[in-house]
Amino acid sequence: MQNASFLPVAFEVVLLAGALVVLLVAVVFERDRRIWGPVAGVSFAGAFVVGLLQWREVAGGGGGLFFSAMDLNVVASPMVVLDGYSAFAAIILAVVGFVGLLAAWDLVVFVGRRGPEFVSLALLAVAGLHMMAASPNLIVIFLGLETASIAFYILAGFVRKGKGSEEAALKYFLLGSLASALFLYGVALTFGATGSLSIYGSGSIRGLFSTTIITEPGILLAGMALMLVGLSFKVSAAPFHQWAPDVYQGAPSGAVGLMAAGVKVAGFAAIGRIFVGGLISQIDTWGPILAIIAAASMIIGTVMALVQTDLKRLLAYSGIAHAGYILTGLVAGVDGIPAMWFYVATYSLMVVGAFAVVSIVSGPASSDAPLADFAGLARRNPEIGWLMTIIILGMSGMPFFAGFVGKLLAFVVAASVDNPWPGGSNGYLWLVVIGTLTTVVGLAFYLRVVSTFFSADGSDEELEAGLPARFAVVISGAITLAFGIVPWPLLDVVRDALPL
Amino acid sequence: MPVLTILVLLPLVGALIVGMLPKRRPEVVFPVSIVASLPPLAVACYILWEFTAGTADLQFGEDVTLSAGFDIGWRVAVDGISLFLIVLTAVLFPIAIAASRSIGERIKTYMILMLILEAGVLGVFIALDLLVFFAFFEIVLVPMYLLIRMWGSDNRAYASVKFVLFTAAGSAFLLVSIIALAVITGNELGQFTSFDFRKMLTVELSDTAQLWLFLGFGIAFAIKVPLFPFHTWLPDAHTEAPTAGSVILAGVLLKMGTYGLLRFNMTLFPQATVDLSFWIALLGVIGIVYGGAVAIVQPDIKRLVAYSSVSHMGFIVLGMFALTSQAVQGSVFMMISHGLTTGALFLLIGMIYDRTHTRAIADYGGLAKVMPVYAGIFLFSAFASAGLPGLSGFIGEFTVLVGSWMTLPVLAVVAGFGVILAAIYLLWAYERVFTGPVTNPKLEGLRDLGLREVAIMAPLVVLIIVLGVYPKPVLDRIEPSAEAILDRISFVTDFEAPEFGRADEVVEPEYGTVDNQDGGSSEGGGG
Repeated sequence: MQNASFLPVAFEVVLLAGALVVLLVAVVFERDRRIWGPVAGVSFAGAFVVGLLQWREVAGGGGGLFFSAMDLNVVASPMVVLDGYSAFAAIILAVVGFVGLLAAWDLVVFVGRRGPEFVSLALLAVAGLHMMAASPNLIVIFLGLETASIAFYILAGFVRKGKGSEEAALKYFLLGSLASALFLYGVALTFGATGSLSIYGSGSIRGLFSTTIITEPGILLAGMALMLVGLSFKVSAAPFHQWAPDVYQGAPSGAVGLMAAGVKVAGFAAIGRIFVGGLISQIDTWGPILAIIAAASMIIGTVMALVQTDLKRLLAYSGIAHAGYILTGLVAGVDGIPAMWFYVATYSLMVVGAFAVVSIVSGPASSDAPLADFAGLARRNPEIGWLMTIIILGMSGMPFFAGFVGKLLAFVVAASVDNPWPGGSNGYLWLVVIGTLTTVVGLAFYLRVVSTFFSADGSDEELEAGLPARFAVVISGAITLAFGIVPWPLLDVVRDALPL
Repeated sequence: MPVLTILVLLPLVGALIVGMLPKRRPEVVFPVSIVASLPPLAVACYILWEFTAGTADLQFGEDVTLSAGFDIGWRVAVDGISLFLIVLTAVLFPIAIAASRSIGERIKTYMILMLILEAGVLGVFIALDLLVFFAFFEIVLVPMYLLIRMWGSDNRAYASVKFVLFTAAGSAFLLVSIIALAVITGNELGQFTSFDFRKMLTVELSDTAQLWLFLGFGIAFAIKVPLFPFHTWLPDAHTEAPTAGSVILAGVLLKMGTYGLLRFNMTLFPQATVDLSFWIALLGVIGIVYGGAVAIVQPDIKRLVAYSSVSHMGFIVLGMFALTSQAVQGSVFMMISHGLTTGALFLLIGMIYDRTHTRAIADYGGLAKVMPVYAGIFLFSAFASAGLPGLSGFIGEFTVLVGSWMTLPVLAVVAGFGVILAAIYLLWAYERVFTGPVTNPKLEGLRDLGLREVAIMAPLVVLIIVLGVYPKPVLDRIEPSAEAILDRISFVTDFEAPEFGRADEVVEPEYGTVDNQDGGSSEGGGG
């Protein structure tokens, strides 16, 4: 399918152009953030509009495969796919990128002359993240992964004088490169087993299983396993999570939100695209593995979070548990995609909001964020304190907050799927039981955090918050509450956000 | 008019208003909060007034579909069982808020949490959509946790986390069971899921499914009640909570458990209810005796009342699972009565604690000489709690015992001893605290109850007497709903409630005519 429309790649084009313009403008007006700052905002706004246009195009039946490599002497291999899945990813990533940049604005101010670099790296990263969701070609997914990862390695080490920042960046870089390499090796093996790098199109991975018997099932198995390991690392699912607490803590508080949220959105989008979109016929093989990873993530993340005394580490471990909840939905295959999107969309904004608060309280460039710093937050700044309460309760999965709806969806689809394991007709009920129990245990630390905000300890000094960061927290809290009480509009949207 | 929606929203509006009070005027927070807690009471009274007695129908129903795909809806209504729990909630909250004068610092947050808590509890009692029910059931934990955690006494960190973990662990099973039941219901009806309580009633469940779902629902409610052996969180939480927290915890939060057992377990899973009724009633009776025996030896007066709650809640559970009309009615009546009497006792303990900052019984003695009014009201509440005829506690206990005698005679006899235990622990505690010479010099010169404190206690005292002397209007409204649950059980299973337990067989010829003439005032004092 040859199509000259640029809408399918407009998201990336807008953000890349934005990144370049920011750099160029900054050369001229280096000191004046008021000039190159809005460029970044406009880029995200443009990307958001592109997302909406893509969504409308798909709803009107205009989706499909684009940029096929027809003239090469290989089978048709589309590079970009435009479907509800990629359009929804575009919308979410634009919002997360924008709110994440708002949350990071204090840091941008802090780094002074290097601000434009930070902003353009953020724009580049988000463009890369969307490639992971919008490409049916494994190599292009890898390219997106690397574009985003390399940008984030730099962001993690952006405050060069901070010891933690440097350590975090190096750790993230070394382990992240290993994970990327494993993913690439998985892609190679999958290519070896199927003869295709493309998820859709003629002779594609998905098309193959309906017509042919795989001659090398072992190689395909290894390929799937390695891809899953690589992506599990990126979304910090156990047992590939060890980097997350150190990197979250070491990286400057202002940058962590964007990093943590963005990678989660794209990582799960890629898992959904490759495994649910491409390898759905193999669900009996990867489903149980995903379920075990999910269970391990929920248990390890929750238990480790219980003993943390630093909010950034605590949020890192809670992020590991959340990766488990999202994977719980994905074990159900296509039915799990709406659950995944709802969860990812709301959780990523909660993460951005939570780290915005960390940045406000502990300083944008800081590495440590001991819980004691947050004592009396609701008294020092009632607005931030109550909004953060909403965000944390959202993460804990309390009813009336968005996190509950996400968990519920994931649990419902996991419980209603047929379990491929012997003797199991109750779906993944065991996984749901683990999920609900870890949610309960999780309450212990989430509520501990919330009670810290209201405690009588801590300083009585009023806490000032910059306007951008405050705005980020307001958006995050408002969405957490709004989609917790009235989730139906978003539910209707995610129902259509399916891969081709 | 969506009365019930308004009822739930009013406390939230109140919380919003309290939240917007200016920071510079902390003294207005307290009166504004009291005023904010009154509109729900007015609405509850309106519902009580407009409620049609003599029918098991769900009244004031609202049904707004929120999600057609999942079949989730804002489905709320009241019947004879939830009616009085709503009124009890609406009565206890203004009282508890008015009794929170001594909170002092951070009073604004405190009042906001109280009002959010009220909305949550009211939601629990009106929800007919299991997901909405669960949402309210779970959200109640947050304000309650924070109330204990931030305004509790010395051991509050431990007690609050224990409270949350116990109840939330139960809710986890509840949520899984609700999802499973919703999926089963959806399959039967040819849709994805359905969380509608009334649709679930139409589904015939296999015995195995009933058993597992009963246990899943049951464990959540048993922890909330709390039923022996899940009660260990309760003494800690009650003892450490601030006064208002204890009042609300004992007064209405525990009732969420018994209400859930009655509304969901017994109605949705009739076969499992019949199969397990003896064992659950047995746990209730163990709770009666165990709670009473342990209460006797408590050195801490608040802990003593907490254990007395375990004992009384055992009565309520015994009555429900005796599966006779009288016993179930008695249970529901006792939920209300226990809310009033235990609420009164916790309030009284809070008042003396504010003065002396000790709860140890050993620190007291001869208090009646120093605070005669206080002693009088305390003795009255203790009598009511122990089930003195003429007061509300008696009606509930007596009806439960009579009703259970017909199906579970042995358990009823053992439970009867619980009444004696109650007299022992309450009166012995009274003796040690109030009679004899004043041993502790600190007690001398203590101020007796002021006008505000008497005004706080007055509504409870009046209600205890009124319900004790003339319970008929209440029982008239409970009866049809209680019978409807039993009718469903005997209709679906081969269980048959004893003949004497069926009011329409025995009572109709005599009382039916009396009712029409003078409203039948003869029943109340009966005993």
